[in-house]
Parts: sequence; C-alpha cells; structure tokens
Amino acid sequence: MQHKKGRSNIKIDMTPMVDIMMLLLTFFMLTTRFKPPSEAEVLLPSSHSQFKLPESDVMTITVTKDDRYFLGLDSQTLRGRLFGEEYALKSGIELENKQMLADLLIQARIANPKLRTVIKADKEAPFGPIEDVMNILQKVKITRFNLVTELEKI
Amino acid sequence: MAGADVVAPKAPKGKGGKKHKKRVSVFIDMTPMVDIMMLLITFFMLTTVFNTPQTMEINLPPDSDVKVEVAETSLLTIRATADGSIYVNMGMETPQRIQFNELRPLLVDRSKSNPKLVCLIKVERTGTYELMVNIMDELNLANITRFSIAPFKEIDGQLVAQAI
Repeated sequence: MQHKKGRSNIKIDMTPMVDIMMLLLTFFMLTTRFKPPSEAEVLLPSSHSQFKLPESDVMTITVTKDDRYFLGLDSQTLRGRLFGEEYALKSGIELENKQMLADLLIQARIANPKLRTVIKADKEAPFGPIEDVMNILQKVKITRFNLVTELEKI
Repeated sequence: MAGADVVAPKAPKGKGGKKHKKRVSVFIDMTPMVDIMMLLITFFMLTTVFNTPQTMEINLPPDSDVKVEVAETSLLTIRATADGSIYVNMGMETPQRIQFNELRPLLVDRSKSNPKLVCLIKVERTGTYELMVNIMDELNLANITRFSIAPFKEIDGQLVAQAI
C-alpha cells in the first residue's frame, strides 16, 4: 500500500525578511540600555517636568505604598563597600528604620560626593513617609534632590 | 489619444559574442539563522528602555532653622487633605475649597497680581504623594519656582474644617 500525496515543494525566499530583521537587530542592539533593576515595583506619578534623570552617580530612595524604604546605588563597588559584599550584586537594600537611612546617606556622600539623591515614591504612597525622608535629607544636608516622575500624557 | 507605437530599433548587441557562464545555484538554508535572530530581537525588544523617567528638582534651604519673614498679604497657602481636596487661602483668610483644575488659573492670576507671592504647600500626612507632586507640578507650570513645603498641623485641620 502506498499513499502518494501530491506534495508541492514550496520554497520561500527569506532573504528580505532576514534583511529587515538584521536591521531591527542592529537598531535594538545599538540603542538598548538595560532596564535598571529595581528593588520594588513602584508606580510613578506624572508631571510636566522635562528634566531627565541623570544616568550615573544616582542614589535612589524608593518608597513603596506599603511603607517600605529601599536605598539603591547604581555603582556596584560602592554598594559592596556600603552595604556589605553580599549586597553588591543586588540593586539596593531595604531599610529598617530612618536612622539607618541617615547614616547610609552620610556614608554614601563621603564615598562619592558626586552622588545625586533621587526619591522614587509610589503615587499611592501616603505623604507622611516622604515628608520624613525629606526631613532626613535636610538634616544630613542634602538640600538638592529630585523626585522621579513620569512624563504626563496629554 | 491615439498614438502609433513606434517600435524602437533593437539595441545593437555588444561587441563580441556573449559568454555563457555556467552558474551553480546555491541555496543556503537560513532558517537556523533566522531563528537565532528572532530570539535576539525579542530579547533586545523586551529589555530595552526607551523613556527615561523625568524628574522634578527640589532645592531645600540649607538649614531648617532659618526664619523667613513673609508679608501676610503675599502668602498663599495651599492645603491638601487626605481625601484629595484642595483648600487655598491668602494670608489669614478662611480657606476656600477649590477643584484641582481651578488651581492653575488661580495661581497664574495671583502671581501676576503679586510678583512677591510666596506659596506654602501643606499636605496632610495621610494624603497621597501623587497629590503633592501634582500641586508642585501646577506651581511649576504657573511659573512659581519658589515655594515651601510645611507640615500639616492640627490647626490646619481645624482651619480646613471651617472652610467654605
């Protein structure tokens, strides 16, 4: 018994597709900047501010809506020095109390005076903790800091 | 339009006879390469970040103990409560409740009539952070770049309760 199927041999020329994909690939490879790892998911509030977040030397204080604080640094060596070697590969540490935040802020500023402080808080977060963070910043004489926002969609 | 087609004379053939090369047709199976490239593309498309977040810059006065004397008449206090309502008052007037979209015209108006206007933002501790950012954003849009943030005290709550 023999089944003979009439199979038509279809050949698709993939060259144009490969060309386009090569283009896309090179585009994405050249423009990519990896998402910075973040300690906690935070929904940012929106504003009309046009000031871009600096790319390096950033110290991020993250405040989540369930009242947890994280301190993140973008340099791995500094993280290792400040938080202990086991945290060097993580993006930041959770802070148990506010005194710890003040101490770490001072140490980080000594280690790298160029650090810019950035507050990244969830838009649902209550204002109280952020007020506390701002008071701490003022106490440790960081008088210039930024609030991370998203560009408002019009 | 009727037009007679003129048959162009055939181009003269190049000098010398045509050389017929025997061509071997080569087919390369590109499927594995395409597979890999698809993978790479999806990887880069998913990990890439296009929009860098924006930031708002705040400069605090270096020392919190410095007292700034402000004329009562040029002090605009904006109070925001936990339920998201906004109250505005000049000097010692009783606070007046306004809607969020009324805030910007009011700010533009007041800062025009009094260039020395000083804004004070008081947000209740249980109010949302978003509300505070939005108010700051409105101030920035109204070109008021100097303002201060003060704690929301009990007296503020009482004042707001009497509001119109």
